[in-house]
Amino acid sequence: MAGARMTTAALSDRQRSWLRRAGPLLLVVVLVVVPLVFPESVNETIARIGVFAVAVLGLNVVMGYAGQVSLGQIFFLGLGAYVTAYGVSNDWNIVVVFVLACLIPAFVGLLVALAAARLGGLAIAMVTVALPIVGVPLAKRLSEFTGGSQGLSARFGDAPEWSGLYDDQWRLYLVLAIGGAVFLLTRNLVRGKYGRVLGIVKKNENVASSVGISPYRYKVLAFTLASLIGGVSGFLYMLVIQYTSPETMSFGHSIQLLAAMVIGGAASIVGSVLGGAYYVLVPQLTNLVDPSLTALLQGAVLLVVLFVLPGGLASLARPLGRGRRSRARHDPAPLITPSATTKSGSAADTPETERQGHP
Amino acid sequence: MSRHFRSRKALVIAVASTLALTFAGCSREGGGDGATGAAASPGITDTTVRLGISTPLSGSTAGPGTCTVAGVKAYFGAKNAAGGVAFGDGKTRTVEIEALDDGYDPQRAKANYDSLKDDVFAMTAGLGTPTNRAWREAAIADEVPQVLVMTGDPLFSDTQESPWQLGFVPIYQNEGEAFGKLLVASGAPHKVAILSQNDDYGAGYVEGFKSAVEGAANIEIVDELTYEATDTSVDAQITQLSASGADVIFNAMSLVPLVVSALQKAQQLNWLPSWFLPSNTSSPGAVVEPGGGAAFPGIYSVSFAKAPASPAFAGDEDVQTYLAALKEHGDYPDAPAFPHCQWSWMVGATLEQAFTTMTEPTRDDFMRALRSIENFEAPLMLPGTAVTTTESGQPAVPTVVVQKYNGKGYDTVESLG
Repeated sequence: MAGARMTTAALSDRQRSWLRRAGPLLLVVVLVVVPLVFPESVNETIARIGVFAVAVLGLNVVMGYAGQVSLGQIFFLGLGAYVTAYGVSNDWNIVVVFVLACLIPAFVGLLVALAAARLGGLAIAMVTVALPIVGVPLAKRLSEFTGGSQGLSARFGDAPEWSGLYDDQWRLYLVLAIGGAVFLLTRNLVRGKYGRVLGIVKKNENVASSVGISPYRYKVLAFTLASLIGGVSGFLYMLVIQYTSPETMSFGHSIQLLAAMVIGGAASIVGSVLGGAYYVLVPQLTNLVDPSLTALLQGAVLLVVLFVLPGGLASLARPLGRGRRSRARHDPAPLITPSATTKSGSAADTPETERQGHP
Repeated sequence: MSRHFRSRKALVIAVASTLALTFAGCSREGGGDGATGAAASPGITDTTVRLGISTPLSGSTAGPGTCTVAGVKAYFGAKNAAGGVAFGDGKTRTVEIEALDDGYDPQRAKANYDSLKDDVFAMTAGLGTPTNRAWREAAIADEVPQVLVMTGDPLFSDTQESPWQLGFVPIYQNEGEAFGKLLVASGAPHKVAILSQNDDYGAGYVEGFKSAVEGAANIEIVDELTYEATDTSVDAQITQLSASGADVIFNAMSLVPLVVSALQKAQQLNWLPSWFLPSNTSSPGAVVEPGGGAAFPGIYSVSFAKAPASPAFAGDEDVQTYLAALKEHGDYPDAPAFPHCQWSWMVGATLEQAFTTMTEPTRDDFMRALRSIENFEAPLMLPGTAVTTTESGQPAVPTVVVQKYNGKGYDTVESLG
């Protein structure tokens, strides 16, 4: 797709606008075809990437866009997974299960945020650290609901007869559909009014207050949304992995999610996908190199990315996007993305990545 | 813009549905189905057989995890160097091990399984309950053996629930039961206090112990307390139990620092009962010595493997072969720090035992062969223990022997005292 875009320089505005529309269309076509052409193991890997891309996206909403450090995202993934596992093993309607897997984490997130958002900066980080640390023993104790430390298995989402698809293909379609919808909605949110408000809150809360924006309210909103998206990723986790245990929400995984977000690119939609890919693929790749050195190799990859691309992997894609938008500015047709958003987005990125280095 | 959007959306839907309809009819070329008839299963040829392991090689359980690979790698490394393993179908094959790191993360364990399942003949030796549970159902659906895995979870040894699985190490209940039986057999009246971890680990031990002492006239359980795995002290529980007048404490704790402080606290209170500890928190150097265990009339634990560090086995032929192979073929140059190295060596021996009775190179026949081993005394096993795979609900090693601390290591004992 990159190649196609480069050649557009010589094309007329009309053709270019057609291509701009063709981009998302092409993406959809690719997403529709992918599950059908790849072998099972590749489909399963892509589905796992989808799961963690959604989890990283949630983290991006609260951290990348709203600038509040959250170290508890994995807790909401785990909570969503447990709700799903419990619902499925009690034969609840799957739609009800999905709605609950969104709402319960969102509600818990709201409760936590109401208290935590009163604090600033690292204090929020400390509160969110508590979530996975409390979550693991809680999951072990509430064994009636969680199966204790042996965890819960729940198999659902097998391909229905009429589809003629394999189970892994059907599951990947579900992941792509649900994950795609979450990405689209989040993209629209952060590109619109709320995204700009969150950007101001992130940059300077006093400025936000002075123009009548309540930083507290928007921090709570961002945190609740992140929890909800975490719940969705938990639902997808159960769909793909079909098993959850207290180990799922261990604190270390929360840090890995955070690293994935930074590596993918903070405050970036594409970066969330890249972060998900990093979370899933790098352990697999390092396993191919030397299984006994995976932790070391992952650390090396993390350092290399942060030194070479401090803005994350998404900064590789950004010049392309910027070029496209600046050209589009001359387009007489109304634009999807006002250039102002582009600016505030990229300006907000830099301090975020710098701040990452400190804690 | 909305007009653009709508027309685009319509186009998207049109194209997508056309494509979906076109491709939905296509079927994929056979991917990883189970073997039909006597055709060889994946991962086995006339000259090689490949085994997969997913185990933690990084993170906090990397120590024992590395051992689970080293032992079995050393065992088959030595066999390969000697020409290979003679299979029951008359062919001699070398055994290749492909081990992947899962970092004790269930999600990564499943990913490892997905990437290995079409290349390996069987999965084995992996450590961890959640990491093995994560792909148990997938292994059943794909009919891939997941055998001799290192988990005390009874689910893996239930033939009905887990037709393609078999656990290796004794389940928690086995350990508790062994000590209970010893107490009953002593004949003398005993008052027992129980302090256990409040999860399925502690509950498993207590269940096994209670089933052994049930109905025995000479055993009375005088007090039973629990603690949380997150607790930093059990002093209060020890104080309360010391007032119960018990002369035996059944102490199912999995945390080394808590066991040490419990031993010390009891001495401070001048309460000196006979003390039972689980196999994973009874290390002489790390637990009993710092806890001042010599003060008690007896510290008891259970085991089924010879401890290479123990002076009693220094000259043992098994132990010497094992230590040499571990260094040469297992990528494990140091003295084994965890019993999992020895267990994994036994897994190798048990697999070989199954291979020698396999008559067809299929996963089906392998499971049949594996499930028909009886009273096989694997190298490094203590006298009185053996591998028996014919009993449903029991892991491959269902028996443990009770041992008593002798000031340096443990000796097997027949009775209390």
